[in-house]
Amino acid sequence: MKKKVLLVGGRSKSKSLALSLIKRGYQVTAINDIYDDCLKLAEIKKLSVIYGDGSKPFVLEDADAAAYDIVIALTSKDEDNLVVCELCKKRFHIKKTVALVSDPKKTDFFYKMGIDSVVCAISAVTSIIEQQAFVDEMANIVPIGEGRIQIAEVPITGSAPVVGKKIWEIDLPKEVIIGCILRSNTAMIPRGDTRILAGDVLVLISSSGQEIAAVKGLTGR
Amino acid sequence: MKLVSSKNLSEYFIIVGCGRLGANLANTLSEEGGNVLIIDKNKEAFRKLSPSFGGLSVAGDGTDFDVLQEAQIDKANVLVVVTNNDNVNVMIAQIAREIFKVNRVIARLYDPERECVYREFGIDTICPAILSAKEIDKMLLRTGSTEKLDKTACELKEGTK
Repeated sequence: MKKKVLLVGGRSKSKSLALSLIKRGYQVTAINDIYDDCLKLAEIKKLSVIYGDGSKPFVLEDADAAAYDIVIALTSKDEDNLVVCELCKKRFHIKKTVALVSDPKKTDFFYKMGIDSVVCAISAVTSIIEQQAFVDEMANIVPIGEGRIQIAEVPITGSAPVVGKKIWEIDLPKEVIIGCILRSNTAMIPRGDTRILAGDVLVLISSSGQEIAAVKGLTGR
Repeated sequence: MKLVSSKNLSEYFIIVGCGRLGANLANTLSEEGGNVLIIDKNKEAFRKLSPSFGGLSVAGDGTDFDVLQEAQIDKANVLVVVTNNDNVNVMIAQIAREIFKVNRVIARLYDPERECVYREFGIDTICPAILSAKEIDKMLLRTGSTEKLDKTACELKEGTK
């Protein structure tokens, strides 16, 4: 059976999320309390749109909220997102609730209130900008575990100080490991005696905050 | 209106939302000798306070942890949230209970259906619609109204539960 996802609020966020979720085969419904936004959302094929305030219990009831697997609250107001998720959790027993929060200080508070996943747009954006600005050789970095762990892809150029070295010879920060080496078309799980060659792409797993030092050490920049 | 007994005089009250209810409550509590601090986003709202109001006022967003800390929420015995937005009231009440461990939290809730969100947190709620329905019901009973009117009031009460 298709997983059902309920999106509450948020115009452009809701739109792009709906498109990508539908593409991945989810059944998606959007609730929005701005009529014009509803019209925009309704242009998306296969998306059901409900006009109403998603923080009101009767609107959620009309939407048959209890039948959903995931609810994602995307409004611009923290209090609305909190109430939407709490109602979905407590009244409609939706398994997974995701809330967007704009005030970074409230992230922990939202988790404490029982919301399963809290996304703080501001801290996510600032950390991405930081990485882009200071570690431009890093091709891709993915935070997981609420940002406590980072997975980074690091391309090794010919001028990097680690070229030709074995892994155990490299001085990496304590909480960083090289989890995988992508060499031409193959992926290998390295051992201590694996040599790093120019053109390799290293996949690093590191605790948050260690990745920049690790990348500097590996690439020499 | 007697809201606090004399033994409560040294209590510290924080009121969030300086609307008609908030301002009225602040005036009364202050008159009775309580320490009152009132928070509102809009400075202009404090004009509703009476000239004799002896408490403090803080202009700021009551959902902001910094504003609440500035108001010394950790010292408050009672927090009353009466902004005109239910969701804001829910959030502030929960922040006060769960983060700052305020002993007594009272919130106004226009929509009684949201009560399930509050219940397990030990937050007292008052709902104007239910209170009004009860009062009207009482009035109708007192004036010896017809059976039909009684029934309407009861239905109204049931409907808002």
